[in-house]
Amino acid sequence: MKITTLLLFASLITSLAVAHPTSYKGATGLMSYNTPEMNEILLTYSLQHNFAVAAFYLRDSNSEFYVPRLNYLVKRWNNESSQGNLYLSAGAGVEKYNSEKYGVRLAELVADWESREYYIYLDHIYLNRDNELNPNLVQKNYNHTKFRVGTAPFLADYEDLNIWLIMQAEKHLDEKQIELTQFLRFYVKNSLWEVGAGFNGNWAFNYMIHF
Amino acid sequence: MKVLIVTLSLVVSSIAFAGQELKVGVKGMVCAFCAQGIEKSFKKQPEIEKIKVSLENKYVLLTFKDGKSMPNEKIAAMLKDAGYDATFEGQ
Repeated sequence: MKITTLLLFASLITSLAVAHPTSYKGATGLMSYNTPEMNEILLTYSLQHNFAVAAFYLRDSNSEFYVPRLNYLVKRWNNESSQGNLYLSAGAGVEKYNSEKYGVRLAELVADWESREYYIYLDHIYLNRDNELNPNLVQKNYNHTKFRVGTAPFLADYEDLNIWLIMQAEKHLDEKQIELTQFLRFYVKNSLWEVGAGFNGNWAFNYMIHF
Repeated sequence: MKVLIVTLSLVVSSIAFAGQELKVGVKGMVCAFCAQGIEKSFKKQPEIEKIKVSLENKYVLLTFKDGKSMPNEKIAAMLKDAGYDATFEGQ
């Protein structure tokens, strides 16, 4: 309960739509993605620029998932004016539902490419669950896919406030409908915020910090 | 005339004590948020007086403390740890 409260509180004051599964060597990263239905928190520590240990929390449909995981940067393309990344993550933990605990396994794939003007991002998370009792999460295989495209309305430099316009399409579980959310992203120094408005009227708030 | 001498001596002394600068190209550095690790790790180095990061020009400008320098290999390794590839002028 205490851990849940702390994590939920952290998700409110911090909040992940742009995942950085690994960062620079020695970096700690805190990321969170929040909508009225879901809270997601990822705390990472990068042992190398391409490898991080992490703790993952997800609340969805009355189930809570606590999953220690490893994040690996499979490939990075450092180009003259752009960068592309491919990350894979894996972990195993517990799903908490009605005070009971069940096993859960996680796999995640993140791919992104960005220049100073454009950004494309794909994230697919997969959970293999032992719990069959949650009527709102009936599938043993939990799938959540996000696809984003973004553009910067102006080119900001290192010290400036950077602003991006982002459109996100996401498919959650086996729902047939694809949810669209428009985001405004702001970042300066080591802090990044996103505020989103879904076409279905939902809000979204995301936050990421490296320190 | 006195003013001229004082000005000249100030200019000469500032040149004499100015730290050596090195401009290093950085491939893949397109995001200010992601590049924070570069500044953070170089600032920890005893040889470094200051660092300027330019996304526009795709380089970092390192200013070394008086009489100090850093081998290119170390700079390249630090940039690698931050997730980037270094390019040096003339290479």
